[in-house]
Amino acid sequence: MTQSVKNKNFSTSGLTKSKNRFVSQIVIPLLIYNSLGIFILGWAFILMFYNYSPGRLGGPILGLGGSNPFIGLGNFSEMFQGISVKSRLFLVSLKNTLVFAFAVLPLNLVLTLTLAYLLEEIGSKFKALYRAIYFLPVLMSSVGVAIIWLSMYDPQAGWINAIVRFFGGQPVAWLSDPRAGFLGVSVALWAVILAYLWQDYGYNMVIFIAALQSIPQDLKDAALIDGATPWQTFRLITIQLIKPTFLFVSVMTMLSSFQVFDIIQVMTNGGPGNKTQVLMLDIYKNAFRYQNMGWAAAESFVLFLIIMAITLFQMRVLRTDWEY
Amino acid sequence: MNIKTYRLLFVFVVLSLTFASCTAPSQPTPADDAKVTLRFWTHTNNAFNAGYDALIKSYQDEHPNVTIQRESFDYELYLQNLQTAMPAKEEADILQIFGTWTSQYYERLAPMPAEIMTLDEAENQFYSAPIGGFTVNGQLYGLPQEFNTEYGGVLVNKTMFEAAGVVYPPVWKTMDDVIADAVKLEANDSSGMMSVAGFHFTAADPLSFSFLAGIKQRGGDYWNADRTGFTFNTPEAKAQLEFYMDAVQKGVVDPVVFNDTTNFVIDAFFTNKVAIGYIGTWAIAEGLTNFPDFSDEWGYFFLPPIQGEPVFVADSGWGLAVSPNSKHQDVAWDFVKYVTTVTANAESFNIASGTIPALKEVAKSAKIDEEMPWVGEALGTLPYGEYLGNMPDRDLVIYEIIYPHLLNALQGVETVDEALEAINTEANSTF
Repeated sequence: MTQSVKNKNFSTSGLTKSKNRFVSQIVIPLLIYNSLGIFILGWAFILMFYNYSPGRLGGPILGLGGSNPFIGLGNFSEMFQGISVKSRLFLVSLKNTLVFAFAVLPLNLVLTLTLAYLLEEIGSKFKALYRAIYFLPVLMSSVGVAIIWLSMYDPQAGWINAIVRFFGGQPVAWLSDPRAGFLGVSVALWAVILAYLWQDYGYNMVIFIAALQSIPQDLKDAALIDGATPWQTFRLITIQLIKPTFLFVSVMTMLSSFQVFDIIQVMTNGGPGNKTQVLMLDIYKNAFRYQNMGWAAAESFVLFLIIMAITLFQMRVLRTDWEY
Repeated sequence: MNIKTYRLLFVFVVLSLTFASCTAPSQPTPADDAKVTLRFWTHTNNAFNAGYDALIKSYQDEHPNVTIQRESFDYELYLQNLQTAMPAKEEADILQIFGTWTSQYYERLAPMPAEIMTLDEAENQFYSAPIGGFTVNGQLYGLPQEFNTEYGGVLVNKTMFEAAGVVYPPVWKTMDDVIADAVKLEANDSSGMMSVAGFHFTAADPLSFSFLAGIKQRGGDYWNADRTGFTFNTPEAKAQLEFYMDAVQKGVVDPVVFNDTTNFVIDAFFTNKVAIGYIGTWAIAEGLTNFPDFSDEWGYFFLPPIQGEPVFVADSGWGLAVSPNSKHQDVAWDFVKYVTTVTANAESFNIASGTIPALKEVAKSAKIDEEMPWVGEALGTLPYGEYLGNMPDRDLVIYEIIYPHLLNALQGVETVDEALEAINTEANSTF
């Protein structure tokens, strides 16, 4: 008995040591790695209270103070005045980002859910092929996608204007005419939204397909027996049961739309006349081209707050408290 | 090892990293003096870097103990590297710097030692516009290699001139002559969209710098008296912008289809979409390299002033500076002096890179005229060049304020008065 207990204690102690060692070996590198991220976030948080430029020497501690002075909430108060060029560009970028995100979200959801539903409901031996074709743009680099669309939108040699000319229409400078608009939004921004949707829709479509496949067939059969039309089945059963997926897709699409950068930088660089200037591009330009890192950090914080507020709102509206 | 040992190890690693990042760079040891390795950062431009490589080789041949390692970055990436490396004191020993950047970076650049060159000596040897960019508060922080002028020079497509029956080489006594020729050269496709711009002057640098030059030539200035603010809402600025509006009205260019992002001058000229393209000489080497199939005959000419003397402003040009964190500043400065002030070396760089000389002595060289006749055309105008002035943020003022509002006016989005008022207000808000 005594020997047995002793052995048991010895074995437990050995296991604990081994566990501790394992945890330590995993946790320490992770802590170091994460501390870098935390340092970067902390640094950005500090910078937003300074008029900081990396080109200036500043004070003795991390270059803060001196020629990089502390200005408290100065960046934020200037941001919403709209007088300086930084402020004007911030407000324009904020507006464009909101338009972009709130246009992309519904268009993306309608397109991807429709395609996913059609692919799932309409049986076809080419289903896998269609799925692969639709998913292909997701695998392409954003820069590549931007260059493809850039050439298609070319006012003189692009094939979109070639089609317009073929039908006797007036060609449009899709990406460079600041006067052209549709529904109160610049044509250039619509053109970029279209390119972005084309690249992005395959991803959400695949997620919706997975969600649709997980719906028990019994429920649909029961609805059919009860005399439900296909539309009623879709609206009252399918949509309701994929709500958690809807939430996930909505949040992720909104997040990526607010962070859109590369496709716009390559296609328009914010033009024409800042009609496609979005927040991420403005942050990038301020931080790395104009060296206003303090301002860029403040803009990043505003973007963070907006994304957080919208995500919380989406989670509140689309939440479900059941599983099947 | 138990958990305590790991904790101690973790604390040790963190403290070591912290101390390592906080301590000053070590001083050179005697052994370092024998063998010197310098890092040299440039932006990616094949023609420029070919010029640098030849000079690095000849310097190393003369100084066998010195090795210079050149590293190049794309323009945008280079800016990011400077901004992140400088605060971390990790930048290269020798830095390629654009003159107008100096006023933003001078606190992080080594002041030039008097024994290398004094400001007076530099002002005697270099043209005032390029050397002005490397001078802040009376102190030199580097030396220029080129006179970057975006003003006055145009690429001209001889084949198009002859096809349209326009006299070649052009005889332009006034800007009205240029506009008259351009009207004959522009062409539209069957749908009415401009297919050939007669005179493409609507890219960012040409439009902005010719606007500033036009203000000066009309007797005005965009700086206030003590250079503490801008004055863009002046009669001279209005007259200059109205001149451009008139040119667009006459149809020499459609600024919606030809601007900085759509049909940029180099791409458009070398793909036969532009008859007269306003661009600096630097574009020639790039265009010929990037469009080897371009077969039209062409020339490079200088425009007449809008009125009076051909005074213009220039924003310095590329040159070299030294890091204050370099362990071998003396060798780095010696290399900078070797590249920029030895006439033969400066000349070889200008020929390799297709740039206008910053050194007055090189500008007198017959070889420049022989190798680059288009640069020869520019040499006569160089004495009229003034430095742009140390703006709080040159890129922000030129590319986010002046150019967008000028283009807005030309595209019909803003009136002349609205554009100038916006430029004035926003440019002054950068101080």
